[in-house]
Amino acid sequence: MTHLLEIRDLRVTMGPQPILQGVSLDVPAGGIVTVLGSNGVGKTTLMRAISGVYKVGGGEIRLDGTPITNRTTHDIVRLGVCQAPEGRQIFSSMTVLENLRLGAGPRGGREYEQDLERMLGLFPRLRERLSQKAGSLSGGEQQMLCVGRALMGRPRLLLMDEPSLGLAPKLVRQIFDLVATIRETGTAILLVEQNAKAALRVADQAYVMESGRIVLQGPATELAEDPRIRAAYLGGHVH
Amino acid sequence: MFDAFFVQQLVNGFSVGLVYALIAIGFTLIFGVLNVVNFAHGEVYMVGAYAGVVLITAWAPPLIAVVLFVMAVGAVAGFGLERLAFKPFRRFQDEASLKSKAMREATLLSSLAVSIIVREVVEKVFGGAMRPVPFESQLTDPVQIGELSFSTGQFVIFGAAVAMFAGLQFLLYRTRIGLSIRAVANNPLGAKYVGIDTDRTIIATFVVGSVMGAVAGILVALYYGSVFPTMGFAPGVKAFVAMVMGGLSSIPGAVICAIFLGLAEAVATEFLAQGWSEMIAYGFLLLTLIFFPTGLFGGARDRV
Ligand SMILES: Nc1ncnc2c1ncn2[C@@H]1O[C@H](COP(=O)(O)OP(=O)(O)O)[C@@H](O)[C@H]1O
Ligand SMILES: [Mg+2]
Repeated sequence: MTHLLEIRDLRVTMGPQPILQGVSLDVPAGGIVTVLGSNGVGKTTLMRAISGVYKVGGGEIRLDGTPITNRTTHDIVRLGVCQAPEGRQIFSSMTVLENLRLGAGPRGGREYEQDLERMLGLFPRLRERLSQKAGSLSGGEQQMLCVGRALMGRPRLLLMDEPSLGLAPKLVRQIFDLVATIRETGTAILLVEQNAKAALRVADQAYVMESGRIVLQGPATELAEDPRIRAAYLGGHVH
Repeated sequence: MFDAFFVQQLVNGFSVGLVYALIAIGFTLIFGVLNVVNFAHGEVYMVGAYAGVVLITAWAPPLIAVVLFVMAVGAVAGFGLERLAFKPFRRFQDEASLKSKAMREATLLSSLAVSIIVREVVEKVFGGAMRPVPFESQLTDPVQIGELSFSTGQFVIFGAAVAMFAGLQFLLYRTRIGLSIRAVANNPLGAKYVGIDTDRTIIATFVVGSVMGAVAGILVALYYGSVFPTMGFAPGVKAFVAMVMGGLSSIPGAVICAIFLGLAEAVATEFLAQGWSEMIAYGFLLLTLIFFPTGLFGGARDRV
């Protein structure tokens, strides 16, 4: 069976330093898969490699069975893989509307208008702020904009890199509700999180990373009960 | 003090300021996108001027044809410059390289190297001396308005400055490529994530900026009546100062400061000996860096 996204033995090296040392994972069409792991284990590197921002040193990334390893980011976006990246990377000195416009890529006209309407239905806060500079939004609004911008690209696969980072608990809940809403539209999601508890609740499958390798994987409900996970990620320290 | 002579000085200073502005526009556009000073911009200006003068000397076509030809030369120069001096340094992605001072300096030096080579080649081919523009093509016909005397070149330069500024604003704020250019200037990584071909956008920026630089070169050459290999240096420095005063990446800020600089130099010749007015720009640069490190217009950090 082929999945929407298949990653096999992925290796990424930065300068002399190996960062990913053979990562394999699958995302089924329409599913939610989460990658857990503490700071610095290589989650963002994995996301950047999938989007073609970092060069891949070995292994393969396939989308619908077709290799996309080391394709350019704009090719990968065009193939339907959009990312809400770490640090949000919104265009802070441009307006909210321009940010969403950029997310839509070359699509214009009625199609774009419809997508925009849909997005503003999903994020009513953004509608009030369309002509405001994106940099003037609150952290939560910026995160919404970041996800909205990625969705404007009509992804088949949405990559989300720690969307709940630095948000107040109420907003964190909103973000995870949003993840569930997006899935209902048929978009598959690869979610990187340090908030393991919330991530395991929305995800179907989960992978745990440690120093550039997958050390544990399985259905999210099973991992939520796994004593190792409970000790390391669901116990005392919450990021 | 406000005698006709003084007003005439202001008029001339304004024209000189517009010349600086013409160069500063392309210069600032490129800086805004790459965050790196393009030291070869003055040479693009010089090459544009030489290309135009060579064409005029050979065929004496109408001004519009000369400008179109120079635009094409500017586009090729911008493309080549980007591939040669800037592209090679964008292939690094590890943090150590991205943050290293050596990398930044290498990019600075590569455009400086290209500028030196281009200047030397032009000097070898055309000689180091001033080369007059054929008289019929010069834009130096006097135009008398009341007590003030203008030249046709001043009007052409004014028109070109307005057209370029307006054209660039249109490009940046009303077209798709302009949207991409602003996105790359604002957040290059974010631009990748929305599927912008950042390499192509950077090339487009160099092409646009260099077309403007080259056109500025030929117009100024026709206005002053001559070209020489080092003609790009002094106005290039002034454009750089205007860019810093304007806040590094604000095109309107750079234009205002360029005109201000031209005016200040003209006024200074009233009070200072000839050679000293050249110090004005450096003085302003120092004062800006010491007292207004983010430019005269406050901390407006908007790129492009
Ligand atoms: N561009 C880079 N250059 C050098 N080292 C990097 C780069 N990106 C990430 N790393 C290193 O790779 C490791 C994993 O980083 P990252 O993927 O950001 O981890 P995570 O997202 O899991 O916190 C860290 O040690 C980090 O310092
Ligand atoms: Mg990370």
